[in-house]
Amino acid sequence: MKRALTAIIALGLCFFLATLLTVTTKGLGYSESYPAVVCPPTLSGLSSQISLSSRKTQYQRLQAASTKTLPFKALRFPIAKDVVVVSATGVTPVAWQSRAGSWAGGTLCSGPASSQWFVGASSDVTTRGGLIVINSGLSEATVDVQTYSENGKQPQISINLKAKSYSLLKLDTLATGDKSLTVQVLARSGRVNAFMIDERGAGLRSLGGDFVNPITTASTTLVIPAIPNQPAQKGQKTQSSHTLRILTPSEAGSNFTLEIISSDGSFVPLGFGSRNISAGIVSEFSISPKISSKSFAVRIQSDEPIVAAVTSTVSVNKRKDFVWSTPTPPLVPMAMAITGLAPVIVFTSDSIAVKVEMTFLNGKRVTTTIKGSDIATWRVPDAVRSFEILKTSANTFAGALVASENGYGYLPITPGSLLTRVEVPRANIRVLNP
Amino acid sequence: MAAQAGLDRHRVSAIIVTHDGQVWLPKTVAALTSQTRAIDHLVAVDTDSHDTSRQLLKSARIPTISAARDCGFGQAISIGVASLSKPRTEVIEWIWLIHDDCAPAPTALEFLLQAIDDRPQVAMVGPKLLGWHDQTHLLEVGISIAGNGARWTGLETLEYDQGQRDGVHDVLSVSTAGALIRRDIFEEIGGFDKNLSLFRDDVDFGWRARVAGHTVIAATSAVVYHAQAAATERRSIDVDGAFLHRPLLLDRRNAAYVLLANSSWWVIPWLCIQLLGSAMARSIGYLLAKLPGYAGDELLAVTTLFIKPGVIIKARKDRKANRYVSSRVVAAYIPPRWSQFRLFSAGFFESIRLRLFSDSSSQSSVLESVEDDDLLVPATGPPRFFMLRKPEVIGFLLLAVLTLIASRNRLGSLIGGALPASPSGARDLWRSYFESWHQVGMGSSSASPLWIALLAILASLLFGKVPLLLTLIFLTAPLAMMWSALTLLRKLTRNAWISVPASFIYAISPVAIAAVNSGRLATVITLILAPLIPILINNWRRIHLHSWRQIFTGVLLVALLYSFTLVAFLICLGLVAFALVGDYQELSSDRPVFLDRLYKRLVLLVAPFILTAPYSFEALLIPSRFLSEPGLSIPGGVAHVVLFGNPGGEGSLPWWLISPLLIILVLALFSTSKAKEIALYGTGFLSVALLLSALSIATHGDAGRARVWTGTFLVGATLAAISAGVVILDRLRAVLVSSNFHYRHILAALLLFITALYSILCLGWSVTAGATSPVQSSRSTVMPAFLSIERDTKTLVLRNVGSRSAKSIQYYISRGQDISLGEPDVAPRQTKEIVLAAQALIDGSGISSSKTFADYGIKYVFVKLPFDRNIIRTIDGLGGFTRVSATSTGVVWRVAGVTGRLIFVSNDGVRELLDSGEVGARTTVTGPGKVLLTESFDRSWQIFADGYRLDREKSEQGLPLFIATQSGEISLIHDGTIRRAWLSFEIITWTLVLVLTAPAGRRKREISEKELA
Repeated sequence: MKRALTAIIALGLCFFLATLLTVTTKGLGYSESYPAVVCPPTLSGLSSQISLSSRKTQYQRLQAASTKTLPFKALRFPIAKDVVVVSATGVTPVAWQSRAGSWAGGTLCSGPASSQWFVGASSDVTTRGGLIVINSGLSEATVDVQTYSENGKQPQISINLKAKSYSLLKLDTLATGDKSLTVQVLARSGRVNAFMIDERGAGLRSLGGDFVNPITTASTTLVIPAIPNQPAQKGQKTQSSHTLRILTPSEAGSNFTLEIISSDGSFVPLGFGSRNISAGIVSEFSISPKISSKSFAVRIQSDEPIVAAVTSTVSVNKRKDFVWSTPTPPLVPMAMAITGLAPVIVFTSDSIAVKVEMTFLNGKRVTTTIKGSDIATWRVPDAVRSFEILKTSANTFAGALVASENGYGYLPITPGSLLTRVEVPRANIRVLNP
Repeated sequence: MAAQAGLDRHRVSAIIVTHDGQVWLPKTVAALTSQTRAIDHLVAVDTDSHDTSRQLLKSARIPTISAARDCGFGQAISIGVASLSKPRTEVIEWIWLIHDDCAPAPTALEFLLQAIDDRPQVAMVGPKLLGWHDQTHLLEVGISIAGNGARWTGLETLEYDQGQRDGVHDVLSVSTAGALIRRDIFEEIGGFDKNLSLFRDDVDFGWRARVAGHTVIAATSAVVYHAQAAATERRSIDVDGAFLHRPLLLDRRNAAYVLLANSSWWVIPWLCIQLLGSAMARSIGYLLAKLPGYAGDELLAVTTLFIKPGVIIKARKDRKANRYVSSRVVAAYIPPRWSQFRLFSAGFFESIRLRLFSDSSSQSSVLESVEDDDLLVPATGPPRFFMLRKPEVIGFLLLAVLTLIASRNRLGSLIGGALPASPSGARDLWRSYFESWHQVGMGSSSASPLWIALLAILASLLFGKVPLLLTLIFLTAPLAMMWSALTLLRKLTRNAWISVPASFIYAISPVAIAAVNSGRLATVITLILAPLIPILINNWRRIHLHSWRQIFTGVLLVALLYSFTLVAFLICLGLVAFALVGDYQELSSDRPVFLDRLYKRLVLLVAPFILTAPYSFEALLIPSRFLSEPGLSIPGGVAHVVLFGNPGGEGSLPWWLISPLLIILVLALFSTSKAKEIALYGTGFLSVALLLSALSIATHGDAGRARVWTGTFLVGATLAAISAGVVILDRLRAVLVSSNFHYRHILAALLLFITALYSILCLGWSVTAGATSPVQSSRSTVMPAFLSIERDTKTLVLRNVGSRSAKSIQYYISRGQDISLGEPDVAPRQTKEIVLAAQALIDGSGISSSKTFADYGIKYVFVKLPFDRNIIRTIDGLGGFTRVSATSTGVVWRVAGVTGRLIFVSNDGVRELLDSGEVGARTTVTGPGKVLLTESFDRSWQIFADGYRLDREKSEQGLPLFIATQSGEISLIHDGTIRRAWLSFEIITWTLVLVLTAPAGRRKREISEKELA
């Protein structure tokens, strides 16, 4: 009897232990990572700097034979010429380029994209800009460039890019003589990014310039959150002028409504209640809101997917410049490196509540919450090297305006590379068994 | 007597040769003196006997001549003949050769003379020789010699004399025991050869007589009883030339001598080969029978003759003088080459037939019949369907039908679960077993497990059809399980209505169903073999009572289990450790018995481990092998499923189908019978299974951890539960019948009800949902055909794998084709760099993934559809991968850069792909540089150039890198010396254990005279 009871107790104990100590089979593992982002090259005559959040951020030069990465060892890194691939690990670096005494503009270093829309620039005699198409992959890339202008859809250009290289397409070759361009860059294969610089001049006189930030997809609702507005100062005859460039790439034309959101109120300007545009033709409309605020936002709603941007003329140090403000996707938690930029960030939403953490150059972190309705403006302190959106209200959009000695720039507040969460694959010979 | 002889025209002189023959001599002398035809003259030649032979002869008043102790039989006869008076011309003089161990029947001489009366050409006539003790045992009716030197009588072993050989036969020769030889011919051809002091002198004499133009006959009407004392080692062999005094050695030597001295010259080379070959074959046979002395005799006999060819040359010269006809005249008397084999095989199959279908009627005696019984009852045959009333027949038929229905999707090439695809032929299995390098993943030099060789042997019996073999194994497994369980349970109960259903339940136990459904080859084999172990080692506690032969038979059985799964080693280890503790407590004062038990237990534990080396030895470095099974790593079940004897996992019974295993074990623990002890073992197995079910291991090419499959332990628990149940029921039936209604009745009814319910539900599930279990017949493949063309190409295959509810992305490196049986067991772990690159490939961060793949020789990436389209787009956009195909089966990308199996990197950094075979290669390098082999690093990789071995290094990626100093042809090899050494070791150890397992042969002196007859 004693042995029987011992055996039963042992059995029960084993069952208890097995249930308790079960080392469960490791479930599906997931890998979260940010694809490396690509910063544009510095074209001839320009100077470029990348704002970083950490000196340990790794990078590699695109044209270098080795794939070895190096730390920047700086928070604002000057780029002499090359395209750089940055392992930003979630903090989007910002590239700031300028031509001394002429213009300045900023763009986000971003991850590869299969489709990018650039609503901006011109192909007329004033244009000096270009479309930079970069292949940061290790194999050849095939890229289609589709241009639209006020004269409709242009013949498509296909370009092949060697591994780890880039190509500069002069804008005046895309639709020679046309004034209003919208360009779609489609990556057929390869790790492709594109950047557009819209620089203009008349003879030796510079008319300004800016980066045209890309839009990923055409959409029926677009929000351009930050459009600079310089009200007429005393002694000035004119204030900023704003022009909406819009395109519906679908087969049919569309009707759109434009709403201006500013601290002076939200309204639909006259003539923008239901405006018709033709399919495939780039249209431009002048917007002249009578508002006193230094920035405003627009919301465009359409019955067909559209792409749009607003160009604004600004005056910097009594010189003319222009800024391309582009739509942004709804704000999500993210981080951006802004060392040396001190931007003004404009939020727009019906109800704004955004919690932001700032990291200063000395490493100190400060959290603040921006609240408001319709539109809110937040000037980031000078000594901030990065900020992180910790929490945000729904359907909030944000853009940043940066003023510098050389010019004015716009940055969409959106992550340069999205956090990818994929299942960690497992090595298992079972895959070779039918 | 003399008067009668005077009437005869024959005169017979009997010569009796004695040598330590006191045992048989009285009967011999008595037989001689009682002949119906009196002997005319009798003389004895004693070769210095050490016993009372000489006194016996003296008391019988037989004139005796003394001869030296080393005097041979022929020489003694010559002495006897010399002592006879001069031949008389009016009569025919005969000499009658009598051994001291042979006794002629009273009419022997009379019939011998009758036989030759009208045959003047006869020079030698012999009687029918019968056994000394068993006088119905036919020993000889004339003799001959086979081409391999064997003494040929043409009789079956222990042939019973019922007159079937009677008559007068023309033969090559007759035994000298009782042979009657014409004196003039004897003297004419020189008597017996002096080189043949004993054995085969008779064949030689007959042969010589034949070629001298005479006849030799055997007259079976004359009978002589012969003890064959010298041949059966009943007395020492002291004759001159009997090296080491060994009769077998002398016999074989003389046999070879006779053949070589008498045969035609042109058959001598063939005879030499035949003699040597048969000597070697017999030596092996004797070694297997554990008779090394006899084995040595065989080889020594031939060798001693071959190294002295002068003896043969002289003998042939002597024979030439008396040869009047060609040696070929004896050809008719030499047995055909295959007659020995035919005789042996007939005897062998007869013994098997008797073993399988013993004739029970022959065991019954006529005395047992009751003559008065049923004399008036009309004779009838067995009733119709009599066989179907036997529980065994019902059980096996029912199981066969149900198995066939449940296996309706398994009638073809099986695949699925833990079972990889079968190679098409046994040759592939052999190659996989023998080769030192396996083209799996990045390559592996792991030793193949022994079960591959076992399957290859079985497949060879089916003309190399491995798929057919596996189908048969899984189809017949339930029947084999039931048979083996029934064999065991019959030893626990005589009631077939208990043992048969119990063995049926064993065959449909949760573990049996799960093992078959999920392709667990090892568990299936364990289920079949496990019941045989307690049959063989039936006294585990007092193991010292078992013979070493039984222990080594057990070693073979356990080694078979080890070869399929090393879980069996863990079980053995536990059992031995548990038993040794008991032995130590029980036998603290009896050291010899303790040591005896210790040795036998350790042999049972360790010897199979050595037999399965080197795979088992490698397990010491890779401990997860002790818990793994052959095939793919498929997770087992959780503790609450295991508790009821269900190993869980794919293909197992659903959790709600609870077997009565646990209840039976618990009930048996409270039994007062032997069932309690059995249940203790069962509980032990179940407890260990429960504990192990909490563990997860990574093994067999799976980087992820999978829950341990506890099937092998549950085989023990199931067998114990069923055995305990049988013991209880066997006793309980009588108790229940004789007692009033009691709680035991309720318990028994409840138990039977649960068991019956389980059986019905289980069978129902098996033939419905169970039929769609993972193991199915299928011919689908993973790899597209165009990737299989380049056999030396590595392809990274990505696929969604797993059960319907939990699929996950998994990958592995393919060598152009799907995996096959045995490959998962030697699959290497994945290189860390490849793991990271594959991970980065999926999450889109891998800008250098293609470079990593190229570094490791991976030429293609293949995504098997269905697969996440987003990931396909990610790979498209990642760079370094060029899409080369997209079909309904999947998408293929080519990895950028020069890559392949063998890459030459010149000193200026230019990469060039070299021709490469599957393992070895012969190709040319164009200049000095480095040759990179994209296989896992192994010391056996070597490259030779101009006969010199190139220096080998480890590349940054841990791959073998060779430094080529100049241009020219190079040879890449994987040196398989170590593998060959291990194979030799395996052959030696298995042969040794097989010899120790085989029934030991007995020396002739150890065989009782009764058996010898």
